[in-house]
Amino acid sequence: MVETLKIVFSNFRYSLLAIGIFLPMLFVLLILSEFIFLEPYFVGQIPKGTELGFSLIIILSALSALVLPMNIYRINILKNSKGKIGGSIFGSFIGAAAGACSCGPIGFAIISTFGSVGATSLAFLTNYEIPIRIIAIALLAIIYFTTVKSLRVECKLKPE
Amino acid sequence: MNTKGIIVGAIVAIIAIGIILSYSSAPSETVNLDMGRTHGDVSTAMGSPILGDPDAPITIVEFGDYQCSSCYNWFHKEKPAIYENYIATGKANLVFVDLAILGRDSLTAAQASYCAEDQGMYWEYHDLLYNSQESKIDNGWANSERLKAFAFSLGLDMDLFESCLDSGKYTKRVQYNVSVAKKHGARATPTFIIVGPDNQQEQFEGAQPYSTFKKIMDNMI
Repeated sequence: MVETLKIVFSNFRYSLLAIGIFLPMLFVLLILSEFIFLEPYFVGQIPKGTELGFSLIIILSALSALVLPMNIYRINILKNSKGKIGGSIFGSFIGAAAGACSCGPIGFAIISTFGSVGATSLAFLTNYEIPIRIIAIALLAIIYFTTVKSLRVECKLKPE
Repeated sequence: MNTKGIIVGAIVAIIAIGIILSYSSAPSETVNLDMGRTHGDVSTAMGSPILGDPDAPITIVEFGDYQCSSCYNWFHKEKPAIYENYIATGKANLVFVDLAILGRDSLTAAQASYCAEDQGMYWEYHDLLYNSQESKIDNGWANSERLKAFAFSLGLDMDLFESCLDSGKYTKRVQYNVSVAKKHGARATPTFIIVGPDNQQEQFEGAQPYSTFKKIMDNMI
């Protein structure tokens, strides 16, 4: 597994891509979930009882930053199918969307635009935020392990 | 002392006792009847009664929803310190203006709070709603029956409360408050506008920590 990661991330472009996915995704999700406030002052907080949500955001961002570059590598270098990258984007998107709490500006924009349909969808995302994030993380974890496995075969790596 | 004097004296005494009793049994909060009430440029005429000293130099206007989890977090984690250090000490007061948008029960809950205000129990009812909030929107925790049960648990006159809630007496009041919030660009719950002694205003969103409020209010005083 480590060998596979080394193969992909020894290439500077893919390491940069991983950082480029991890940091903005983490930052945006922390803002959406009100762990970080930019106005009127830059403030960060992890209120009691929100530790699980905070941990899930970090795991989700880290997995997205691992899985997406690995699948882009498969497509670019090995010219393989695009199936897994679709799944990774889907997992990342669903996990991120769960953080679009209906209390926040994105939620309000959706409610204002789509009315009761938007409110119902957002209520679902808010009500099941934690389970949705866990499902998204599980999806990304499955894609991560299958990607590592297929890269090991495709690159003809010796198992550790 | 003649009989006439005794009767007049008794009548005066009864009236005096009646007046004293009526004042002593009056609710501890006042019903908001000031239709022109504003704080800074925010119309709070249809909002909650003022929590704290009406003459306090600073007013915190909170735009919130009873089903909003961020409002719940702020109510439980940040408001107690703000109440203790600023509202109870007379440095600030607070007005709640409904931004009831998250679900159908949000509107009913907001109306119910004003039905409780009719009986002088707005803030008790407001607090009970935030203490009873469940994590899921429109799952029934704030439906009409539960709202009536909350009123019953506070000892409100149920005939008055039910007729008020069932008639939709405060539908327009809540709608007005939502329109005030939108007019001021509130696009998240909670949104706060802190109005200072010289009507200077600071607006921000989210269940922000106590430190943010302290910094802003200390700068205003």
